[in-house]
Amino acid sequence: MPIDSTLANDSNIFIVLALVAYAIAFIAYCAEWAFGSKDPAQRVAAAVGSSVRVVTQSRGAVKASAITVTVNGAPDEPSGGGVTVLTRTAPESEEPTVAGDSIRAEVMGRFAVMATLIGFGFHAGGVLLRGLAAHRVPWANMYEFSCAAALAMAAAYVVLLAVRRGSARWLGLPVSFVVLVTLGLAYTVLYAPAEELVPALNSYWLYIHVTAAMISTGAYGVASVATALYLVKLAVEEGKLRRLAPSLGRLPSSVALDRMAYRVIAFIFPLWTFAVIAGAIWAEKAWGRYWGWDPKETWSFIVWVVYAAYLHARATHGWKGKAAAWIALVAFACVLFNYFVVNTLLAGQHSYAGL
Amino acid sequence: MSEQTATETEAETEAPDGVVSHLEEAGRLTTQPRAERGINLPRLGSLGMLRWMWRQLTSMRIALILLFLLSLAAIPGSLLPQREIDPAKVDQFFIAHPGWAPFLDRLELFDVFESVWFGAIYTLLFISLVGCIVPRSFAHFKAMRAAPVAAPRNLRRLPVHASFTTAASADDALAAARARLRKRRFRTSAGSGAGGRWISAEKGYLRESGNLLFHLSLVGLLIAVAIGHFFGFKGAVLVTQGSGFSDTVAGYDSLTMGQLVGPSDLPPFQISLNNFSATYETAEAQYGAPRTFNAYVTYKSTPTSKAANDDLQVNEPITVNGTRIYLESHGYAPVVTVRDGKGDVVFDGPVVFLEQNAMFTSSGAIKAPDAQPQGLGFQGFFLPDEAQLDGSMPFSDFPAADHPMLILNAYAGNLNMNGGEDQNVYTLDTSQMKQLQLKSPNAPAGDANAMMLNLHQTQKLPNGLGSITFDGVDQWVQFNTAYDPGQSMALVCAVLAILGLIGSLGIRRRRIWVRVTARPDGTALVEVAGLARTEGATPTAEVTATAETLAQRLGVTDPAEADKEAQTERDAQTEQSEEIDQDADEADAQPTATTARINNDEQTDEQTDDALAGRPTE
Ligand code: HEM
Repeated sequence: MPIDSTLANDSNIFIVLALVAYAIAFIAYCAEWAFGSKDPAQRVAAAVGSSVRVVTQSRGAVKASAITVTVNGAPDEPSGGGVTVLTRTAPESEEPTVAGDSIRAEVMGRFAVMATLIGFGFHAGGVLLRGLAAHRVPWANMYEFSCAAALAMAAAYVVLLAVRRGSARWLGLPVSFVVLVTLGLAYTVLYAPAEELVPALNSYWLYIHVTAAMISTGAYGVASVATALYLVKLAVEEGKLRRLAPSLGRLPSSVALDRMAYRVIAFIFPLWTFAVIAGAIWAEKAWGRYWGWDPKETWSFIVWVVYAAYLHARATHGWKGKAAAWIALVAFACVLFNYFVVNTLLAGQHSYAGL
Repeated sequence: MSEQTATETEAETEAPDGVVSHLEEAGRLTTQPRAERGINLPRLGSLGMLRWMWRQLTSMRIALILLFLLSLAAIPGSLLPQREIDPAKVDQFFIAHPGWAPFLDRLELFDVFESVWFGAIYTLLFISLVGCIVPRSFAHFKAMRAAPVAAPRNLRRLPVHASFTTAASADDALAAARARLRKRRFRTSAGSGAGGRWISAEKGYLRESGNLLFHLSLVGLLIAVAIGHFFGFKGAVLVTQGSGFSDTVAGYDSLTMGQLVGPSDLPPFQISLNNFSATYETAEAQYGAPRTFNAYVTYKSTPTSKAANDDLQVNEPITVNGTRIYLESHGYAPVVTVRDGKGDVVFDGPVVFLEQNAMFTSSGAIKAPDAQPQGLGFQGFFLPDEAQLDGSMPFSDFPAADHPMLILNAYAGNLNMNGGEDQNVYTLDTSQMKQLQLKSPNAPAGDANAMMLNLHQTQKLPNGLGSITFDGVDQWVQFNTAYDPGQSMALVCAVLAILGLIGSLGIRRRRIWVRVTARPDGTALVEVAGLARTEGATPTAEVTATAETLAQRLGVTDPAEADKEAQTERDAQTEQSEEIDQDADEADAQPTATTARINNDEQTDEQTDDALAGRPTE
């Protein structure tokens, strides 16, 4: 079927609108950080990290309650039927927020989330229209894959916002930045007009394999942002980066950042495994072998092994925390290498994806 | 177990009270090897040395390092050309870098994935894996059959704890607790101790099962790959339209057989190409890009079986007698007739020309060594859709054979075809031949000696040496064949690995205890407490809901009492908090100490949890 050029044009317009909305969101997130309160108490709480939270646990009492629930270490929190809950690790509500108690910052933050959601809507629309224009999945060349991977990353952020009822907003600034840059580069440098597929790509495995790879890439991106922030926050908690401490103090504690990064990776690693295996199945169908150490395959394998190393490191004494975080960053560097360098410089059988 | 001792000592000094000194393995929710801190010096003696080496090899630390090495080792395989993938590129590399190519070759860097060192890394990794996973499997198997561990003496020390008083009897309370936990699909056991009776419940065993399944599947996957390597084969063969191929060693253009496959193991199928059709993009964007390929074939599984027809496409291989057949590439085979000086036909038929660019400008050679008085040879290009700008060399404008043309140079002499070495069919050895001066009227600019033949044209050769006629255009395709007996096993293992991984990373493992203690006033204190080993998965909701359900079922007496209970609770907690409070103060002064402390806290928590969970009540 020929390309529908009207739809392809609309897709481009949507992508531009998404870029504008993300840019506004990014500026608003910056403003949120700038206006955020620098309440000294919060700074201490943030700097001292998890230890201090335990102090609050004896606060509050169970009045008129028949059941006492103690979750070691956190503030009392009435649950249904007058039950009181204490937790050893702080619940999310205890974590510092970027806005702190500044109303201006809070307004900016909410505005930024709105702009992000609007950008996400245009972005999703743009990707969808591209697919409709070409009558196929909209990720068959580097421009489309970049748009879609940025969409996956934005989606991972939106999902986290929804799941954690807004307490993932600290991710907004870095995520909007990365999405903005990815999408901007895609539109300006990698742009390719909508085209039909060559027979080698024309397979339902393109849907399965590439969709899984793309979602994984986006989620790994978000996890890497959280991991990088974890390392920065850890440095602040260790008393380094004193000049940055006031603003970085408003990030969640390093423990929470680390946990968030881990959860995203633990959630997405099986999907990445699936993406690699689906690729192998497709390779078997297309080329007669399920694994041939083509550069793309080799680097997907490397990415997989390094993320496996990350998961191992978290279960190995002496490697938890900082070392594991660096492994996660190395793994994401491999993801980026696998995408940018392998696709452009190391021609293999995957090279017909087109720039 | 000296490493264990080290762990214990550390834990003891960190623990808020003496609970941890009762550390016991039985309570661990994971069978993951614990002894990971610090490499201890081996004891003397070769057996001891071996034991030590084995323990190191199967440790998580070594597994981690081997995983790193494996990924590092794979990198040169993607950066340097590999013989396995593209031997021609390796040859080019040798020509371009004659200095260090042989050196790299000695390091097996052009055969990374077949190299000794790559093999050594993955072999060690898999030995480590088996050494790690097999004992874990046994331990897990035992744990699955054992009753959930006894309740710790002090449930209040657990990360989450709930309590209430009731007038119901202890029996009722325990029965209700058991029923509730069973309904929530916990496995339960019962016992008594520490002044009361308890129910112990655990769920999430599938987490460890998943982890083991995942790792075992990786071993299976490796075995499947090895089976394919030793018992499989892959080949490539070029077939022109109207001709066929039978699966014998001689029939192939190239064939790679596994070490344990012999020529007689090739399944005796036959396949012939009836027709090949391709369509190309005609719109301006991507003009000439391929759109569809269809190879219409007839095949027989064995020479005596019935013939079947099929349509082979890219991404749609067919399976004949266990062997997969793929459409790999295609091209043109111009059909020519060559007559010699005596007028005899010395060559007649299609000649395979190889694609040179996207518009299928193709190159090849036509050979008639037996022509008289002199052997004849032709070398040049085939253009499927000839186009010419003023005075320039013609070029191909589109990949379909709409206006085919042959551009050839002619040679006479000895074609050197009995020269021993395999001669390339696509080029002519002109070392003992003389180029013929054609002075062709329609010769292309710049090459007066070349002839340009349109379809059905004939070119006479000078000196009465003969003639050549361009009769038509056939197409050829390259079929790849592949037989991999490990393939289905690999797929099954891969699927199991994913399932195992989902279980391993998605399931939370947790324990809940309910203890009922009789009180002097005839009422009973019901305590519910929980513990999780999954990061950040303290079963707060589960414990709270269990307590609430039980309270509802059994009825609650005297909230004041419960309040008092809560008060003692808080007192107990306050002690602990003060301690940590101090830590916080210290941390303010010495920030670097804080993180260490936090980490230690975490570890201590784990240890405490283990200790609590594992220690049977006296
Ligand atoms: C082929 C190499 C290997 C790969 C790709 C691999 C991959 C993985 C992955 C992805 C996990 C995460 C699952 C989870 O966290 O529950 C994991 C966990 C684990 N692996 Fe491996 N592994 C390999 C080899 C080994 C070896 C050699 C050992 C033993 C020394 C080992 C021991 C473990 C253990 C104990 C866990 C569980 C950690 C925990 O309890 O959280 N693995 N592995």
